[in-house]
Amino acid sequence: MSTASHSPLSPSTGAVAPHAAAGRSLALVLWLGFAGLALALGLLLAGGTLPAGIGSLPGLSAVIGLLTLFVAAIVVTFSLRNMRADRRPAAYFGGIALLIASVMLFVFARHLVVLGIGWLASGVLLARLVGHDTAWSEARGAARRALLTFAVGDAALVVALVLLVSQTGTAQVDAVLAAVPSLPGWVTLSAALLLLVAAAARCALPPFAGWLLSSMTAPTPVSALMHAGLVNAGGFLLIRFAPVFEAAPIARAAAVAIGLVAALYGVGVMSVRPDIKRSLAGSTVSQMGFMIMSCGLGAYAAALWHIVAHGLFKAWLFLGSGSSVGMRGDKPAGLGEPATIGGVAVATLAVGAWLTLSPDASGSLVPLLLGLATALATLVEGLTGNIPLRARLAIGGLVAALIGFHAAGLAAMHALLGADAPSLLPPWALLALLGAFLAAWMWQQLRQARARPLPAALYVHLLNAGSAPAPALQTAEI
Amino acid sequence: MNMMAPLTTAETQLTRTEVAGLVALAARSVPPLWPLESAIAVNPLAGFEDLPFAEAVHRAARRFGARESLPLTAWRGLLATGRIDPKALRDAAIRELGGIYAAEAQVAPGITALDLLMARLVDLPASGPEPEQDSTTADVAFLAKWCAAFFDQSQAASPMPHRDLGLYRAVLALAGHDPDYARLTGALGAQLLLTVSRDPLTAIAEGLSALGVSEGDEVDHLADLVARLPGWAGHIRWRGEHTDPANVSGAPAGMADLIALWLLIERAGALAPRTVPQATAHVGAARLAAHFGLETAAVDAALAAAHGAFGRIAALTEGALGALFMTAAEWSYRNQLVPRLEAAALEREAAAHQTAGAGPDAQLVFCIDVRSEPFRRALEAQGAYQTLGYAGFFGLPIALHRHGEERRKRFLPVLLAPQHDVAEAPVAGREDEAASLSAELAREQHTAALFGAAKQGTATAFATAEATGPLAGLLMAARTIGPRVLERVTRSLTPDRASALAPALDCCPTDGQRPAFTLDEKIGYASALFRLTGLTPQTARLVVLAGHGGSAVNNPYAAALDCGACGGHKGGANARILVAMLNDPAVRAGMAAHGLALPETTVFLAAEHDTTTDVVTIFDRDQVPASHAADLAALETSLARAGAVNRAHRAGLLGRSAEDLLTGAVHWGEVRPEWGLAGNAAFLVGPRDWTAGLDLEGRTFLHSYDWRADEDATALTTILTAPMVVAQWINCQYLFSTIDNSRYGSGDKVTQNVLGGIGVIQGNGGDLRIGLPRQSLFTDAGDPYHVPQRLLTVVLAPLARVEAVIQANEILGRLFGNGWVQLVVIDPETGRTRCWRPAGDPAAEGSTLH
Repeated sequence: MSTASHSPLSPSTGAVAPHAAAGRSLALVLWLGFAGLALALGLLLAGGTLPAGIGSLPGLSAVIGLLTLFVAAIVVTFSLRNMRADRRPAAYFGGIALLIASVMLFVFARHLVVLGIGWLASGVLLARLVGHDTAWSEARGAARRALLTFAVGDAALVVALVLLVSQTGTAQVDAVLAAVPSLPGWVTLSAALLLLVAAAARCALPPFAGWLLSSMTAPTPVSALMHAGLVNAGGFLLIRFAPVFEAAPIARAAAVAIGLVAALYGVGVMSVRPDIKRSLAGSTVSQMGFMIMSCGLGAYAAALWHIVAHGLFKAWLFLGSGSSVGMRGDKPAGLGEPATIGGVAVATLAVGAWLTLSPDASGSLVPLLLGLATALATLVEGLTGNIPLRARLAIGGLVAALIGFHAAGLAAMHALLGADAPSLLPPWALLALLGAFLAAWMWQQLRQARARPLPAALYVHLLNAGSAPAPALQTAEI
Repeated sequence: MNMMAPLTTAETQLTRTEVAGLVALAARSVPPLWPLESAIAVNPLAGFEDLPFAEAVHRAARRFGARESLPLTAWRGLLATGRIDPKALRDAAIRELGGIYAAEAQVAPGITALDLLMARLVDLPASGPEPEQDSTTADVAFLAKWCAAFFDQSQAASPMPHRDLGLYRAVLALAGHDPDYARLTGALGAQLLLTVSRDPLTAIAEGLSALGVSEGDEVDHLADLVARLPGWAGHIRWRGEHTDPANVSGAPAGMADLIALWLLIERAGALAPRTVPQATAHVGAARLAAHFGLETAAVDAALAAAHGAFGRIAALTEGALGALFMTAAEWSYRNQLVPRLEAAALEREAAAHQTAGAGPDAQLVFCIDVRSEPFRRALEAQGAYQTLGYAGFFGLPIALHRHGEERRKRFLPVLLAPQHDVAEAPVAGREDEAASLSAELAREQHTAALFGAAKQGTATAFATAEATGPLAGLLMAARTIGPRVLERVTRSLTPDRASALAPALDCCPTDGQRPAFTLDEKIGYASALFRLTGLTPQTARLVVLAGHGGSAVNNPYAAALDCGACGGHKGGANARILVAMLNDPAVRAGMAAHGLALPETTVFLAAEHDTTTDVVTIFDRDQVPASHAADLAALETSLARAGAVNRAHRAGLLGRSAEDLLTGAVHWGEVRPEWGLAGNAAFLVGPRDWTAGLDLEGRTFLHSYDWRADEDATALTTILTAPMVVAQWINCQYLFSTIDNSRYGSGDKVTQNVLGGIGVIQGNGGDLRIGLPRQSLFTDAGDPYHVPQRLLTVVLAPLARVEAVIQANEILGRLFGNGWVQLVVIDPETGRTRCWRPAGDPAAEGSTLH
């Protein structure tokens, strides 16, 4: 019999599609860029030529630049497989290339106009990637929502920059920052508040959280890039313009307040979402709130380390979000016995009280002490679980190693950025802030340990966070 | 509660029992939807199988708002690339027109009806651009949101309040707090929330009465509501019918809950109108005339002369034209397959009179899965190996409790209920390894729980991110750049699971509800292998039972690549259990007593075929006696060679290198580790020596069957009513997921969002998605890789026996009679071929088979 002359399963052509080659080249460029920047930073550090101090461009920019390039290189390499069936590969890889270029532009900008252009462009390009599936109305809606939110933040940034340029007579970033102490109070306050609005919009802090919480129309790798890279822009802005904020304590207090709200709100959103991606987005809102709060407190090194570590953490979780299939049923989700949690909280507060007695109590105490609480709670829980001893020891070792990583990272950021800003809050206020986190934590853990659901109204509010307003139903009148 | 007067006085309200009956009928409009951790292929149109295929597709399209066929442009692409035979398309068109005479009739000077229809099929513009992907309406968004919150099985740390009340009452309790509900239903909704019955069945009765749904229309009305959220409705069916009740306790929900919620929305006037995609792609008669350069007067004359053929052809919808293309695809395939099978049957009959040579070196039993066929062919080319096809659960209706897992899972086809609970236990002599594996598993689980809790804690979330970030960065780089190295390192650090643990036959899991095996049952399962496959007792020195599974990481659809006959799991465990039985001397003695005396030299071996990498793992190698070591070594060499051959072949189909397939199997970004069962087209029932010489292109399910050893047709009955039905579900899942990937399939993988550990949604919300993702069915360029066509079953057996089996089994009459499966019977002695014609189908005049 004749063989099939028209085999229904004809092999796909072996030739590499042009977009695949383009994607591969982009990945290579990003990996080389990352390596080059890392090398340059290393050489500068070894040579001791890196100027220390808050206003220093190289430390902050290099760290953010490195993070962005690393995550982008991972994301594009991941996309070579993940986005292999994409309908618009040119728009995808091209969009990512331009997006990274625009981020590099504002991160390394020495001129306010360049910074502004890079910032604005990155917002537009990001929104386009959120709506990458242009045939899908929900994706277009999400892109529009992001764009509108960015428009508010970007307008605030532009006004702030215009204000600073007009009042200082220069558009060089360093010159502007040097001239800040001589500016009238209303100028620094207005500029700082406007910059805070711009940062909050990018960081998706309430009331700007909606765009991020409804951006799940983005392809998975875009989400990873967004949550690990783009949302950090707000933190970058606050640290970059630290002198402006230090001249406007009210703006710093506002940053602490909005950060605290976002940190608690985001955890709430994360804890009620049944889907992995929006749960991660809730977590990002929370983490960004914490980071902006740290900036407000003046803990710049802690904030910068948070940006880096959280970026890696969140990219990892987003790219791995396909692994969350599997039903686990109802299991208590708490970190340990309520008594343990209470003990950890009290111990943390005690250490906090003791530390705030010292004359140089600074804003970085809050993140530091929360780190202590985390270390204590995980070590206790890891070492006492009902599992074989060697497994417990392995977990204890892992936690210890992670604490080491954390400490090393913080130290490195301190070395790069220099001293933190003078503390904004008096010791008692720092303790109260710490107490707020610990109290919320105890409430949360106690509730989870007793399997008690959230109050209905609060639950519904958190569950609805980020939901797009329902499209109007034209036929309701019939 | 505020007691207000009901909005409508219900005089003739149905009783709860009557409503329960209506709900049960309405529920059948959607099939159960299995969670992705044990993904099972189902026919999304299972509720329509008592209708003829074309009618079912049409009605389902209206009910689900789906397309009836691929877009014409896609069909034309398949025609242009030669995957549909132009002659078959012409034959299908001729049949559509009512035969060759009607087709060749002139409808205008020099123009036949066939010319007109072919012009519609291949030349004239198809309907406009692809319709907009469905945008979720507010009513669907509202209910989908609450279903997601209610059914979540793993994600949220703070579960939905009031879940213990059941879906309906829990949503009622929260809707008052939900601005989405207020926006959706307005004042009427708020009022209804206070007055509506808290019992879903009573509420449905109230709703039907208030809406004035007339008697006899109730089921359709309710079924339309059910079909608005086919994913969640399917999940409810799965919960009710296919899982251990303990797994879903604490959050009770039945279809009545969902329907009662829909009726609440409908009573509030908030139900969105159903949008049916444009099925009316007809062209005007004038447009058709213009295509042939005819004057309007000539058209008028033609219309009169041709008894309306002109208008009828002009009015055919895109769905109708697509159906012709599908028929053409089926005939293209059948016309090249069946003659080869016919010839092979005759050759086989001729060869049967020659003396048989030496027996094979080894016999290998594979799953009937279409992916087994090319591997079997490659293996047979390596030496004297005989292969057989058998359902991959090897006839064992078991639930397996894997070590370290919380719950037992069902390792059997979903048509069956588990009869035995089996647990994994340490392999004798490997207790140390097993203990260290246990510790490792405990550590992993504890670490994961610790990490999960820490990253959600209000005080601990931040430091957790900061401390794990650097490690995440390193792992991320390793998984992206060097996944194979990472995988090798990980594997070297943990004991091999399969060598430390094995399913234990004679002990029951502590929570077991069903008994372990008795000796008689073991003998029964062991004998069934011979009875159903036609395997003779003169077995070779090695007989391998090879289950199968896929390799995919970070892929919600990983289980869809595993063995469907094992309930969407890897099939190695079932193979190991049956092999343990077959190697048991007591079982052998029992089999001998029933006339199945196997040679003492025969050793059974369990294996697992990885369909992604084409690596075959042999289990319990150290239990093979020294006398068979050389046989095993030779077999393993052949398996490795066959694997390399098949891998290279499959790599070509994927447009990648064979090496890249191995990388893709462990790469966390890979969306298409293999083609799965895409391309599946036929189910062949007969001995392997009938099909062994043919390249079946990995498109056929092969079930071994020897008609001589099955006088009473019990084996054939089992094969056609169980494995073939599963094959039909798979075939229909691929078919419908391809023709409308956004309705019957789950859409693009990269925008999927895993929900509650159960399944996926698209983007921010909407229904739980059913079917297969786009990447599993379409090429990177967006062309269908899977050609939608119905399963073709070919049986090598006497016609009378097949007819008797069909007559005795109602399900077969339905599947063949309604055209869900095409049946061809080849008589083994005469080689004569019979094609089963579905009821009401016109004879296929143009086709070569009658």
